[in-house]
Amino acid sequence: MLTAAVAAVLVTMVFALIRALKGPTVYDRMLAANAFGTKTVLLIALAGHALSWHSYLDVALLYAMVNFVGSIAVMRFFEQSPVPDEAYHEDQT
Amino acid sequence: MIDVVLLGILVLIAVAAIRLRDLFAVVMLFGIYSLMTAVLFMDLDAVDVAFTEAAVGAGVTTVLMLSALRLTGRMERPSAHSALLPLVVVGVTGAALVYGTLDAPLVGDPTAPAQHHIAPRYLAQGPIEVALPNVVTAVLASYRGYDTLGETVVIFTAGIAVILLLGLHDDARQPATDSPELGRLVLRVVVKTLLPLILLYALYVQFHGDFGAGGGFQAGVIFATGFILYDLVFGDAIARRVMPPRWLPRLAALGVLLYAGVGVLGMLGGGAFLDYSVLSADPHHGQHLGVMLVELGVGLTVFSIVLAIFYALTECRRTA
Repeated sequence: MLTAAVAAVLVTMVFALIRALKGPTVYDRMLAANAFGTKTVLLIALAGHALSWHSYLDVALLYAMVNFVGSIAVMRFFEQSPVPDEAYHEDQT
Repeated sequence: MIDVVLLGILVLIAVAAIRLRDLFAVVMLFGIYSLMTAVLFMDLDAVDVAFTEAAVGAGVTTVLMLSALRLTGRMERPSAHSALLPLVVVGVTGAALVYGTLDAPLVGDPTAPAQHHIAPRYLAQGPIEVALPNVVTAVLASYRGYDTLGETVVIFTAGIAVILLLGLHDDARQPATDSPELGRLVLRVVVKTLLPLILLYALYVQFHGDFGAGGGFQAGVIFATGFILYDLVFGDAIARRVMPPRWLPRLAALGVLLYAGVGVLGMLGGGAFLDYSVLSADPHHGQHLGVMLVELGVGLTVFSIVLAIFYALTECRRTA
């Protein structure tokens, strides 16, 4: 049961990764990276329980808190230097 | 099985990061890469390493790289020279490395030198001599105290070099240009709620490192992450009032001094440099005290250097 859950989380991670690789806009990548972080927390918690890793909840907790900081930094980055629109149109064509 | 999937994803990300020209996307990919590496470390049963990777890779590296990206611009310039020669060099080096691994023992091989050299002694004598539940901390802070002191000095030196190159000014008169606006109300409330928890968690990691995963390196980074989060949401001026930049180099030096001071204290007590057993009448108590103080020194140095690098990068942007 747990193995199936781990496999399912891994599959969703691959989907998020595909979105992060393909883009096309920065928002896609941003969201993909964020979703990937959340999935990592889940993966560590699930796989940690299934494979009895040591103190896996400590690491999962740390990720849950710290991943948030990265997202804030990304948002601040685009707040202060707006996204150039041409990059979006370039990728569309 | 999970190893193969994780390693496959890592290779995929690495190739994509090389091919992309948009450096912002590369930073995002690096974040994902670091997450995957930490899971891989967890799977290899290296919790302390996974912890470090989690603390450094998930938050701080992304923030620092984005700060640097603001200075350099978002797009990578196409290289002017042909890629043929670098490709050959990389190919030859990679082939040599792969050839080298043919002689190396397999992962988990019981006859590997890593299992025979000094590891059995640490594992057998560690609980008796140092008596810490987390044997990683015992090895890192007590048996390998010299190495860890060296690492702390390296971090200190690297941080001072960055400060010298970029400059770290304590300009208290600067106008609060990016003071918080009302528009960020939700973010400010969330961060105000989250911040004490992050700092508390950092203290837990710092002082619980003897018993579970964690220690000074991880705790310092998490503590700095908390301050960086505060800076990102409440603006540079207010964050600098909470933690003035002029304190940071001093705190970093204090951390190294604390570490080396504990070593000298051991010498004064009649032992060798960084021998904690003589710090107290009970050798076990002395070891615990020494490890705690040493980890505190590491935490102080790491915290102040990480925050100083962040300050220096944001300052560079403002003056540019």
